[in-house]
Amino acid sequence: MAIAQAMCNSFKKELMEGVHNFKNSGGNTFRLALYAEGGGGKSSTTATLGFGTTAYTTTGEILNSGSYAAGGGELTRVDPSVASSTSTATAFTDFADISFTTATITAMGALIYNDSSSGNSAVCVLDFTSNKTSTSGTFTVQFPTADASNAIIRIA
Amino acid sequence: MFNINFSEVGSVNVKTSHQGGLTNEQIADLAVDKIASISDQAPPHVRQQAKLFKEQLKVILYHYLILARREERGTIIQALRSSGQKEMAEYIRRL
Repeated sequence: MAIAQAMCNSFKKELMEGVHNFKNSGGNTFRLALYAEGGGGKSSTTATLGFGTTAYTTTGEILNSGSYAAGGGELTRVDPSVASSTSTATAFTDFADISFTTATITAMGALIYNDSSSGNSAVCVLDFTSNKTSTSGTFTVQFPTADASNAIIRIA
Repeated sequence: MFNINFSEVGSVNVKTSHQGGLTNEQIADLAVDKIASISDQAPPHVRQQAKLFKEQLKVILYHYLILARREERGTIIQALRSSGQKEMAEYIRRL
């Protein structure tokens, strides 16, 4: 599969190196870029994204349309939390939902990456499981409920 | 030794629209999905109750979304009328 949902291996290493800061106040700038499989991409090359992705790439990124521009949209960070302070628990972080308006988009997946880091380090790959299309309309990505079982990024 | 047991990525929900913005129903779905999620491991009777709760919640949200859009449109129409743009006001009223 060209786009496979995963937390990027390089991201796990970079967490230990202090590369990423998800705090709402003073954190890094994270962006969400959209990718197509097959047609719809900027080039005929299909995006290959997964656990091995290390950085933002323009290969297979969707064309500019409406409010979507190369590099994708900036995400609004939500402070990381931990589910419990009295026992071993899951830590998680979240982003506000993001929308691209008046846009004609066909996307199969997305990459969240750190725009503040040198080299635009990859965080995770999102697989939409099928092509999602907007036509002169709104393309909304809703993040899951921010809890220990569902949040977009979880570590236990 | 400290062991990280797992690191996971949650599943996102994508909503799209054609020739305009999201519908009231789509926005209500987004709100309901954000408010309540049902665990796969929950007992069947809990899942059923949660499903019913989500359905009722959606009906209420849908109603108030329609109300909010109608009221905002009314405010826009009035602003346009006040500034002499009656044709534009009428166009928006008929949307």
